[in-house]
Amino acid sequence: MQARQLGKTVSSEGEKLTILHEISFSVPTGASLAVVGRSGSGKSSLLALLAGLDTPSVGEVILAGAALQTLDEDGRAAVRGRCAGFVFQSFQLLPELTALENVMLPLELAGVRGAEAQALQWLERVELGHRLHHLPRQLSGGEQQRVALARAFAPGPQILFADEPTGSLDSATGAVVADLLFALNREMGTTLVLVTHDDTLAQRCSHQLRLQAGQMIDWQVPAQTAALEQAA
Amino acid sequence: MSAGILSQLRLTARLFRRSLAAGEYKTLLLALIIAIAALTAVGMLTERVERQLLGQASELQAADAVLSSDHPIPPKFASLAAQQRLASAEMAIFPSMVSFGQEASLASVKAVGAAYPLRGQLSLQSGATQAPQPGEALIDARLRDVLQIQVGQQLKVGQLQLTVRDIITREPDAAFDFSSLQARLMINAADLPASGLLGFGSRVKYRLLLAGEPAAVNAWLAAAQPQLGRGEAIENARESRPELKEAIERAERFLRLASLLAGVLAAVAIVLAARRFALRHFDTVALLRTLGASQRRVRALMLAQMLLLAGVAALAGGALAWLAQAGLLWLIAAQLPAPLPPASLWPWLWASALGLVLLLGAAGPVLLSLARTPPLRVLRRELTVDVHWFWQYALTLLAMMGILLQIAKDIKLAVIVGGGMLGALLLLAALGWLLLQALQRWRWQGSARLALRQMLRQPGLLLAQLAALTLGLCGLWLLTVVQSDLLQAWRAQVPPEAPNHFVINLQPEQIATFNAQFAAAGLPAPKVQPMIRGRWTLHNQQPVQPQQYSEPRAQRLSEREFNLSWGEDERADNQRVQGPPLNAAVPGWSVEQELAVLLGIKIGDQLTFDIAGTAVTAPVINLRAVNWGSFRANFFVVGSEQLLRDLPSSRISSFYLPPAQRTLVPQLVRGMPNLTIIDVGQVLAQVETVITLASSALRLVFVMCVLAGLTVLLAALETNDSERRREAALMRALGASTARIARIWWLESLLLGALAGLLAGTLAALGAWYVATAVLKLPWVFNVWLPLASIVAGMALSGLTVWRRLWALARTSPVLMLRE
Ligand SMILES: Nc1ncnc2c1ncn2[C@@H]1O[C@H](COP(=O)(O)OP(=O)(O)O)[C@@H](O)[C@H]1O
Ligand SMILES: [Mg+2]
Repeated sequence: MQARQLGKTVSSEGEKLTILHEISFSVPTGASLAVVGRSGSGKSSLLALLAGLDTPSVGEVILAGAALQTLDEDGRAAVRGRCAGFVFQSFQLLPELTALENVMLPLELAGVRGAEAQALQWLERVELGHRLHHLPRQLSGGEQQRVALARAFAPGPQILFADEPTGSLDSATGAVVADLLFALNREMGTTLVLVTHDDTLAQRCSHQLRLQAGQMIDWQVPAQTAALEQAA
Repeated sequence: MSAGILSQLRLTARLFRRSLAAGEYKTLLLALIIAIAALTAVGMLTERVERQLLGQASELQAADAVLSSDHPIPPKFASLAAQQRLASAEMAIFPSMVSFGQEASLASVKAVGAAYPLRGQLSLQSGATQAPQPGEALIDARLRDVLQIQVGQQLKVGQLQLTVRDIITREPDAAFDFSSLQARLMINAADLPASGLLGFGSRVKYRLLLAGEPAAVNAWLAAAQPQLGRGEAIENARESRPELKEAIERAERFLRLASLLAGVLAAVAIVLAARRFALRHFDTVALLRTLGASQRRVRALMLAQMLLLAGVAALAGGALAWLAQAGLLWLIAAQLPAPLPPASLWPWLWASALGLVLLLGAAGPVLLSLARTPPLRVLRRELTVDVHWFWQYALTLLAMMGILLQIAKDIKLAVIVGGGMLGALLLLAALGWLLLQALQRWRWQGSARLALRQMLRQPGLLLAQLAALTLGLCGLWLLTVVQSDLLQAWRAQVPPEAPNHFVINLQPEQIATFNAQFAAAGLPAPKVQPMIRGRWTLHNQQPVQPQQYSEPRAQRLSEREFNLSWGEDERADNQRVQGPPLNAAVPGWSVEQELAVLLGIKIGDQLTFDIAGTAVTAPVINLRAVNWGSFRANFFVVGSEQLLRDLPSSRISSFYLPPAQRTLVPQLVRGMPNLTIIDVGQVLAQVETVITLASSALRLVFVMCVLAGLTVLLAALETNDSERRREAALMRALGASTARIARIWWLESLLLGALAGLLAGTLAALGAWYVATAVLKLPWVFNVWLPLASIVAGMALSGLTVWRRLWALARTSPVLMLRE
């Protein structure tokens, strides 16, 4: 995944507001990137651009080999459907569907055979095998987020986008969810983009990107990568 | 099928099932079911009643369709009928002298085929029902009494000697021959050629009777109509009995209006619920798009949800409608002469299609724009999409107009109702706006100020709510309060002792004897009116020519002999609509207004009638409206006494005979053989059936309308329910007491309810007045209590929702509510 000279300007009430400014970096496949910064620094906005949920004002994004700016909205949706998984701070489960059905949703959208069996396996993997037919509102926050994790990993995405996945949870529950997230990520070899304001969580990622008022003020890469980059 | 399509279908079905179970579709589904049920029930009932009435009308003319002619009927009409596989029978009617020994009498001879009657039944004294065979004669009691003949003896008519086989007690199409009633002789058509009766100059009326499947009959009518020659006409049973025609038409108007209201109310509920439905789907769509669904796919998914919704509603609505109308008919079975013929599936299919059109019109544009929801909404909750409200409203309006047209089957009525609704809505919006502005001026304190501020924050929504609430309430009033008054007014038109017999040919010198017979039977003397037959010859000194009129009915009426009368031009069932009353001493005519319009007659026109060779000319003084449903002798043209008094005239009378005193009829005829007495009891019974059926059907429609009205209220009050709850949670989190929140809510909803109630009550009272006087032509009194009662009801209803909300508030913690 690559970002080149990414910038985003929005106009609110007639005023132009630059919320992201010339951001460039690249993350190798299978690596993990933590985007950190204070609330309002532009983390979610960056994630949206990287995942093709939004379009940059300038610059370009290459996601899983696809240059997002060459695609229209439906094209980007197709790329997301093929390669990306999502976990959000507010879980974003469909309230009418059961846990099992929520996990089945991306599989069915992708037209996968045996969606139910796969979803079932994933729910067991996140230790919710006994809550298959419960509705989101019957689950605790931690359980809901675990369902969301199962949903995100079930289609076997190349990249997982997580926006403050522990932000709505108390610290103990948050830790459990975070452990699960990293464990699954390692197991599946997924590239991870994790937005968080929690530095300890960020430390568990191989790459770190710090934002402040839309500017990239810090970029940390693992030592061997840094060496490679320098050699190049 | 590929796994993709299969899983897509499964996904669609699952989302639908789950949303249904979660109550997401509750209001929308309810509105749809009620719309479909109301339209289906009305459609089914109207169809069944119409089939029944058509059957009865057919009985009145012994056939489904009748072609009459003043010359032998060209064979092409019979072969057209054969092509449509219709049963047919030819018939000829003419006056002739009939004799037996020394006795002779003028009789109306009816020569019929063996198949006669095609509809209804011939009743004979022996209990048999067959038409006469060649060589046989059937006669009525009148002819038997005049000729002093017995069954088995032979009478003579023309060159024929026929054996009397039986006495006719009832001919199904007797009332059809209202104008030419004399003693009856019925013979077989095969005897005609040998009778020598059809020679030059004889006045024969030929008829071709046809019967068969309605579609085939209609096909024949359509094919035959353009081929009609001079003197040939297709007769319509409905038109031949004005009483029945008026009853049926009024029933149809009643039912149509009521179902229009049900349809419109349900449509409003659907629009409101669909809007909410769409707005609640932003999150789902954003998530689906994030997970990679294309816009097309989202659209397909949404559309499929709509179709499923319509499908479920169609099934449920159809079942409900069927049950409702079957239950209703079961309840009134005892009052019906015969079970109604079954309904077809058409009303249900129509109603379902209309429901789908409404749903797609009301929700389609929103759902389609919903597909454009930015996936970014999963991160930024405030993002929505510009919904094409314009298209939504335009399409909804179009769908509604289509429905109005379909139900009203009459552009004028549809435009009046549609325009009236639209006008009322605009007026409501304006009035509501003014009232709110006025309220805002006031210096409110405390909770009242907060309540008002909350209401005014979304003025558009507030006005929509006000309008919906008002419409819903208004519909309720029109239907509950007004319907019983209307039905009562209608029933009062046909008094329980409406005359069931007419007497014509009574001579002035017989009146004393006539009255004496009634006195002897212990009955009051019936009212007797003069009747003079005259041919209309000149209109403003110009000869009257049938071909100058384009309408067939006008042609027929203009060449027909008129029954004229004098005196009594003002009665409850005859009201002057234009011009002064007739002065007995000054020559003048009073003309029935519909006839005047049809024949182009205006006040001041000179009309000349040829009465037994005398030309009588006078100006038209006034126009009258006649209520043909009153079952009394009514006249198209009435002259002033001075004009007609000295001309040869007979008398006409009508009276009510209780069943036990039926024997008076043969007694009267025996003493005065020239009398013609017509039993209209059968027609009267049919009119009563129409009223019974129509009023029960109306009750059912009204129930549906009330349900539709309640759904509108529910949908209207639900529009910002969740918003209000969130606000309350916030206010409570900020420390406001539940009592304070409750006070704000109460003030807000009572104000809204009172406003809506006032507007609804006033509108309903005005609407009822309009419907009663202009559409149904019934007397009506403005109900002053309605607006007041309406205010109370409006407050109570909108208060109910507060109560519901408060109950929910008490059960939920602020945190949960905020998270919702
Ligand atoms: N479409 C927009 N219009 C106006 N302001 C926006 C828009 N998108 C983002 N912002 C602003 O940009 C800043 C960054 O937002 P966000 O990316 O959500 O921050 P973070 O996720 O780091 O808390 C915020 O101040 C936010 O209000
Ligand atoms: Mg954020």
